[in-house]
Amino acid sequence: MKEISELNLPDDIRYAEDHEWARLEGDKLRVGLDDYAQDQLGDIVFVELPQVGDTFKQGQEFATVESVKAVCECYLPVGGQIIAVNTALEESPELVNKSPYGDGWFVEVNPSDLSEMDALMTNEACLEKLKGAE
Amino acid sequence: MNAYNKRWLCIELPATGYREAWNLQSQLVAARKDKIIDTNAVLLLEHPPVFTLGRRGGLNNLAVSADFLEKAGIPVIQVERGGSITFHGPGQLVMYPIIDLRVARLAVSDYVENLEEVMIRAALDWEIKTERNPINRGIWVGNNKLGSVGIAIRRGVCFHGLAFNVNLSLKPFGWINPCGLQDIGTTSMERELSRKVSMNQVRESVKRHVEAVFGVELIMTSLLELQALLQR
Repeated sequence: MKEISELNLPDDIRYAEDHEWARLEGDKLRVGLDDYAQDQLGDIVFVELPQVGDTFKQGQEFATVESVKAVCECYLPVGGQIIAVNTALEESPELVNKSPYGDGWFVEVNPSDLSEMDALMTNEACLEKLKGAE
Repeated sequence: MNAYNKRWLCIELPATGYREAWNLQSQLVAARKDKIIDTNAVLLLEHPPVFTLGRRGGLNNLAVSADFLEKAGIPVIQVERGGSITFHGPGQLVMYPIIDLRVARLAVSDYVENLEEVMIRAALDWEIKTERNPINRGIWVGNNKLGSVGIAIRRGVCFHGLAFNVNLSLKPFGWINPCGLQDIGTTSMERELSRKVSMNQVRESVKRHVEAVFGVELIMTSLLELQALLQR
């Protein structure tokens, strides 16, 4: 596993407890799994995504990722309706490992209440939390 | 990692129904998340005969009809772990560690390898030499699988675990392609040694190797003591 100092945690996104990230793009949110989570899971072989149109509350399970023999639940960092899913992950789940904040994104969300973003962590807070867990 | 995380509760259960053990695991995961308990725990048990399907199913790897299984009295249960279809039954040692992988700073792949290592070392105690397979996880004697691994992660806490074939009837494996693999077989310690092996001795061996491989001390805990902890 990467050392905490080696983790790539950009400052233009917000982080949830379970290492999902959310980035505000206009009035929609893009969501994925952060560098810590992809590194801890190792080679991802399958991503199960929701359907466009599904709605979830903040913190509700919306996807699962599978590395070899291990299935991990993912929770939506901000509640809302799914308006797009990254279909490229069906064929190329390894994009989550290669590009967690770029091509490896999971879904786009039309957030029901943007103030829910306030409950998420900045990259600095996320880093501090990881250091505290050591 | 603080010293507290070096002590894992170990609960040895009598033969336990799949759903009952599943509920106990879910309860432990929730208690860990809600900080009702802050220790890792390991369940050791055997299941009555049951087929389980992984997150991505595996029903297509069942070679007999649902009707046939109903007559045989073997349920098929869909669960959230990784992997495909598998069989559990008496004579197979099942271990479910409920561990906060983040606190333990364990990568999932290292954790899976550690589970395999525990089984490899336990098999060696009976001079059965097993190997990993780079494509298919678990431990193998040639093309035959002696032990399987499948885990799930919820809120950073892992559950499900490993299944180690000790004196297991291998017949039900003939009704499936285990783990969705074709042209492979299943074996047991009994089959490799041509004699029965004491399940108690295997349990003791597995416990010892868990302590060595994970660098922890197992604190033997009764189910009643565990339930008291969960109800605090």
